[in-house]
Amino acid sequence: MKRLILEMGTGNDLYGEDYTKAACRAVQDALHHSSLVLFRSLKLSHEDMQVNVTIGVQKPEAVDNKIVAGELPRGNAVVTVVKGGLDVHDKDNDTLSVIATAAIEACLDINPDDWEVEK
Amino acid sequence: MAKTKVAMELGMGTSLRRQDYTKAAIRALQDALWHNSLTMADAFGFSREDMIVEVEIGVQKPEAVDIEAVKAILPYGKGSVMVVHGGLDIAKPTDKASSNPPADTDKTVIANAAVNVFFNMQPASNKGARA
Repeated sequence: MKRLILEMGTGNDLYGEDYTKAACRAVQDALHHSSLVLFRSLKLSHEDMQVNVTIGVQKPEAVDNKIVAGELPRGNAVVTVVKGGLDVHDKDNDTLSVIATAAIEACLDINPDDWEVEK
Repeated sequence: MAKTKVAMELGMGTSLRRQDYTKAAIRALQDALWHNSLTMADAFGFSREDMIVEVEIGVQKPEAVDIEAVKAILPYGKGSVMVVHGGLDIAKPTDKASSNPPADTDKTVIANAAVNVFFNMQPASNKGARA
């Protein structure tokens, strides 16, 4: 498997303390800054694409992996959640804003010997 | 097959106080580029210098963008920059009590950037021959 792209994004839940929601927003942010046009150009199948999603939040156990995986429109997604992201505590107003980071790797089985640059 | 589009990256940038359309365009381009790490050249066994990178910028004053300065942001590949009328300018809130009319320069500038990445590629002629 060769990695085609690493997409990065961030998302938050400002006042709901919903780590899954923040993670889903981070995934959407990561996804929608790019498009893997080569699947159309080279008539490749999205079904052959392996998608590795890593989420960073301060409370990994509070993230529902299945819901996050549901945000991925194509490919076979595997979601891993680690401790990361950032929690911002406003002591004056007693609120907690949770920030999630998402890194999405899209991988495909490409044999470099099958392709060449045109001279 | 020839010139083949392999990826598109999108971004947004602003100039909040100085109405600097070039700065907004550069930030939009950086937002597009640095949200992603493209590793397709490696995947196909090409050099990153083989990448053809076509940048399209949208701002309300296209003529105010220094194209060379925007192009200088591109880290590798054969780059080109095109600027069209787009993006968005938003007037700053005006103080109605003031006798000074709002200046045309009192606005927030937003630029959009789209980066299209291509390779001049084809199926290998000696497919499978190389080890």
